[in-house]
Amino acid sequence: MLHLLGVNLPDQKVVSIALTYFYGIGPVTAQKICSKLSIHKQCKLSELTEGQLNQLSGVLSNMTLENDLERQVKANVQHLRAIGTYVGKRHAMMLPVHGQRTRNNSKTAKKINGRMLRKYSTADTAFARQAFGMFQAPLSKHME
Amino acid sequence: MRGSLVALSRSVWKGPFYVHFPNLQESIRSGTPIKTMARASTIMPSMIGAKFLVHNGKEYTPVTVTEEMVGRKLGEFSHTRKRFTYRLTKNK
Repeated sequence: MLHLLGVNLPDQKVVSIALTYFYGIGPVTAQKICSKLSIHKQCKLSELTEGQLNQLSGVLSNMTLENDLERQVKANVQHLRAIGTYVGKRHAMMLPVHGQRTRNNSKTAKKINGRMLRKYSTADTAFARQAFGMFQAPLSKHME
Repeated sequence: MRGSLVALSRSVWKGPFYVHFPNLQESIRSGTPIKTMARASTIMPSMIGAKFLVHNGKEYTPVTVTEEMVGRKLGEFSHTRKRFTYRLTKNK
């Protein structure tokens, strides 16, 4: 195992595959990094020289990855929620954002959307109340 | 995702789409809301502090424009869907 910027990478894997172990690097970005550093397609991580590894960590340290990226995504969603947009509301309701159907399916959105808001809300109940106030309002109006 | 956003975005030379409200400055000063159906209008920096009543297909919902809303559309802040709530029928 190779330890690079706080992530354990498997030694026996091809470099472009191993790079996808980072949060924020998919297959396309990984291939772009490899071609930028002229690492050939079948090259394994264990075959890289010291210099290439230094170059690689140099490129990676300039990117927004892992915790930084997660924080950035979370902040974006929270901002949308705070200013009261439709997208932010759909996130808070754990429903799909881009107009997909909700009669059935929408499993991915139910799994992922609003998870970040929810994690935040357990620490801060005031925010949770604010987040749900929006759909409680029409309900209470209805009951009267 | 980002590539498609660029490909599908509006041409730069056109500038943002917005509706001109003739009495905007006056309504910011007096605090009277502007009743509008222009949900697609981009919120411009000149609209900060203005109050709108934006149509959601049924009624006009109040929207107060803040600095963070600049660059978004008026319709994003006037929700068109109501959450489903179960109602007991009286005639049974």
